[in-house]
Amino acid sequence: MRQEQFVARHQAEWQAFEHWLQVRGDARKARGERNASAVADEEIPARYRRLCQQLALARRRGYSPSLTDHLQLLMQQGHNLLYRTPAPRWRRAARFLLADFPRLVRSEPGCMWAALLLFALPLVGMFVLLQYRPELIHSLMEPGQIAQMEQMYDPADPRHKLGRASGGDWQMFGHYIMNNISIGLRTFASGLLAGVGAILVLIFNGVVIGAVFGHLQQIGYGDPLWRFVAGHAPFELTAIVLCGGAGLHLGLNLIAPGRRRRIDALVVAGRKGARICLGAAAMLLVAAFIEAFWSSTQSIPAGIKYGVSAALWTLVLAWLWRGGRGGGDAA
Amino acid sequence: MAAADPIRLDTYREVITPEGVVLQLPAAGAMPRAVAWVIDLAVRLTVLLLMGIPLGLLGGVGQGIYAVGMFLLFWAYPIVLEASWNGQTVGKRALGLRVVSADGAPVGWLAAVIRNLLRAVDMLPVGYAAGLVASLIDPHGRRLGDMVAGTLVVHVPPRAEHRAAPLNAVYAPPLPLRPDEQGAVVAFGERAPRLTPARQIELADIAAPLTQAQGQPGVLRLYGMANWLLGRR
Repeated sequence: MRQEQFVARHQAEWQAFEHWLQVRGDARKARGERNASAVADEEIPARYRRLCQQLALARRRGYSPSLTDHLQLLMQQGHNLLYRTPAPRWRRAARFLLADFPRLVRSEPGCMWAALLLFALPLVGMFVLLQYRPELIHSLMEPGQIAQMEQMYDPADPRHKLGRASGGDWQMFGHYIMNNISIGLRTFASGLLAGVGAILVLIFNGVVIGAVFGHLQQIGYGDPLWRFVAGHAPFELTAIVLCGGAGLHLGLNLIAPGRRRRIDALVVAGRKGARICLGAAAMLLVAAFIEAFWSSTQSIPAGIKYGVSAALWTLVLAWLWRGGRGGGDAA
Repeated sequence: MAAADPIRLDTYREVITPEGVVLQLPAAGAMPRAVAWVIDLAVRLTVLLLMGIPLGLLGGVGQGIYAVGMFLLFWAYPIVLEASWNGQTVGKRALGLRVVSADGAPVGWLAAVIRNLLRAVDMLPVGYAAGLVASLIDPHGRRLGDMVAGTLVVHVPPRAEHRAAPLNAVYAPPLPLRPDEQGAVVAFGERAPRLTPARQIELADIAAPLTQAQGQPGVLRLYGMANWLLGRR
């Protein structure tokens, strides 16, 4: 068949399809209004497949590029519509947090335990070391930083007895979100550098946190410090470790892809890691909330603070350990 | 999935859809993407600036909201726009770019999250250097985040309206033509009316072995052959 005959035979069909795309192409708008097009919605997949067949024919028969380009454009618009992203659902988000996320974390025990060791060993080691060799803090931090940190947790400072003004809480809430979640997300991303980035971030954070805690404990500022960090530590420390673990997983798949192409291994690891990161970001959001509005109120007695902290630790660990086990909707 | 054709010079990535048709995705290079990124940066800074003026008056609460806004503009802006606005941010729309999945389907939420989280690596060590090197090496111009997310940035093709070739003489080709040669001759018939006469002659002279004529007669013979191939007898 010659091109002109082909066009004459199918032109009406193409125009109807194009008109439908213009009228009904926006799925959100189309839900609310009546179909003003000559083509019913349920006919579209069949029409789209016919169009694909016509495009294939046109290419095969060597029709002109201007015709095939036009058909490809129509086809691509149909393709985008038929294979579009489903809208996000709140129910799925809740199920992800309660069940899928703990399952994902448990599915990579090696990376998660390695991340925990990389973070906890420097932290504890530094803390213990500073109890015996307190002068070592000066080889880690600038004198200015040390003075600032001491002033923040000085038990003799009357401001700590009263807590911050509420505007200050909000300010710190924003600051924690910007800072902590960004650090968590970057920890994961830096895992792409063969895991080296994630390892460095984990060790660095362990050393710094261990140094600060060790120094403050050693000079006798322990009480305000522990009361401040007890509340948000369960969420914040765990989330950093999980982000690091996801980063290690990504790096591991770059180094040792197994029986897959390296790029395929990375795609799979990236999907898993990004979902772990989303869960960890939610944890960091909770941590920022606690840190800004609960941890900062120093008027609460230490007993209550430590009690709440113990409860939160139990909750987080039980969630990660048991969450998503035995549910009927196991994916 | 990808049917790579080594002799093609274009940066098309060809994927086969479930319907068995080859979809051609014109991959975008580093330059238009960098310009789109600069536009996005300008948009974000403007929003931040406009937000900062009223929030600055609110004191601590305002500063808190400002920091949250900064976080959202930095991390969530590209993710939400790409996933929910046809794979385009403001800058990408201005430059006619679009993020698609490597198989040509619209980009999903998870893929948008991955490619934007991994920006942190593409930015290393300074000014997207890692991303630039990766996109220069990759045949489809993907940065590291695109590779891990399985996505691709493509040019949105301009609206192609099919125009019929003008009606004039009919002239049968002296020898049988292959389908791609037929397509080229018909394309000449359809596009040449929009070219200058000099350019028409220049193009027709390339086909002199077929038309066996130089200059204007060659152009007319090519028109004739296009008409013959279109089925006008």
